[in-house]
Amino acid sequence: MDAIVVDRLSCRYQAAGRQILKDISFKVAPGEIVALIGLSGCGKSTLCLCLGGIIPHYLGGELTGQVLVNGKDTREYRVAQLALEVGLVFQDPDTQLFAPTVEDEIAFAPENLCLPAEEVGTRVNKVLDTLGISDLRKTNPNHLSGGQKHLVAMGAVLALEPSILALDEVMAQLDPAGKKTINKILVDLRRQGKTILMVEHDPETVSIADRVLVLEEGRLIKDGRAVTVLGEWESMLRC
Amino acid sequence: MAYIELENVSFCYPGQSRPVLREINLSILNKGVTAITGANGSGKTTLSKLLTGILLPTKGRIKLNGQLLTSLTLTQIGRQIGYVFQNPDKQLFCETVEEEIAFGVRNLGLPPDQAAQKVREVMDYFELTRHAQAYPLSLSAGEKRRLALAAVFALEPGLLLLDEPTTGLDPYRKKLLGDYLDKMLAAGRGVVLISHDQKFINRYATRLMGLQDGQFIEE
Repeated sequence: MDAIVVDRLSCRYQAAGRQILKDISFKVAPGEIVALIGLSGCGKSTLCLCLGGIIPHYLGGELTGQVLVNGKDTREYRVAQLALEVGLVFQDPDTQLFAPTVEDEIAFAPENLCLPAEEVGTRVNKVLDTLGISDLRKTNPNHLSGGQKHLVAMGAVLALEPSILALDEVMAQLDPAGKKTINKILVDLRRQGKTILMVEHDPETVSIADRVLVLEEGRLIKDGRAVTVLGEWESMLRC
Repeated sequence: MAYIELENVSFCYPGQSRPVLREINLSILNKGVTAITGANGSGKTTLSKLLTGILLPTKGRIKLNGQLLTSLTLTQIGRQIGYVFQNPDKQLFCETVEEEIAFGVRNLGLPPDQAAQKVREVMDYFELTRHAQAYPLSLSAGEKRRLALAAVFALEPGLLLLDEPTTGLDPYRKKLLGDYLDKMLAAGRGVVLISHDQKFINRYATRLMGLQDGQFIEE
């Protein structure tokens, strides 16, 4: 079974508003890393929101076509149920962080799964260690820098251990060491069979992807191997 | 004379024992591009808030054009330093994109026709004209970033302070931003660039400063 199936997906935020996604279809197999690129405003973040069910459940809007994550139709499942399948890391970590300490932030989701306290502790330690942020454990997320906040948001999602990750420009504010850590984590997760869809602009980050999808004005205009698609896209932009 | 001068500046957030910045001495001219790099959490954004008077040093003093920053209002500082925040959401507050850019320009006291011309120019340059009547917070992250940049650039301050300005920008828009910086530099203005974007820094920086453990370790 495909991890992600997007079938003739169109979407707009208001019934009379601009069409953000236009008749998009693609599939992602388990264990694949797929990068989603395109000029700003082309619909990349909207597509991530559709994968997690935020659209249509929270933001409303008009959605036609179908999105399946691990076979589940996002329209038929609640966002909380979909969160067990798809870990969504938002572009702006401030919209995601709310707990008084980094540790609480990462423990929140596993605690809500009613996992035993010992298992929650193990997951929190593992995530803090993997991301290299153990020293921030007792810090209030509001006091962190932009890049550190993104690492914590990423940690909170990793602690849920979803089989699919949708990452919206999580590397954008990270320093080179942070980028290297996340790249390594993503490659490890792929080895474990996890599926990753990431929105990125940085060609270096995109190069770890197996496939690259290019969106333009809401349409999927390219879908192919990273090396080929990146080269074509950059020459298209002439930069 | 230095445009901004920091003398033995230290800063510690209330309730924390470890200072974020320690005994910093630094002169910034209003020409060229001073790039400030450093690991996440090294104090880059804190430094930018000190330079704009949003935070006050725990120790030491900062001068802007020879005047103590503490003797100036935020408006007076804002006319001399154009600050684009790391998170554009914290900067946008108007009802429409056009209004957002016009707000600062009108407050400069330009005649209405000149102000309108300026707004049209930057809106056009940053390819925001099609969104002129859109609600700023409904834009995508990259569009919001361009809007925050456009609103500040329209004011033509002596020094631009840009905190991670390339975040969320696609390669094409990054080049547009770079070209605009070249234009500002040619017009005799300076830029302080806080960034992790090594490629962008390599292309535009004329001076490179590295922050580590609250101090500058390299120049």
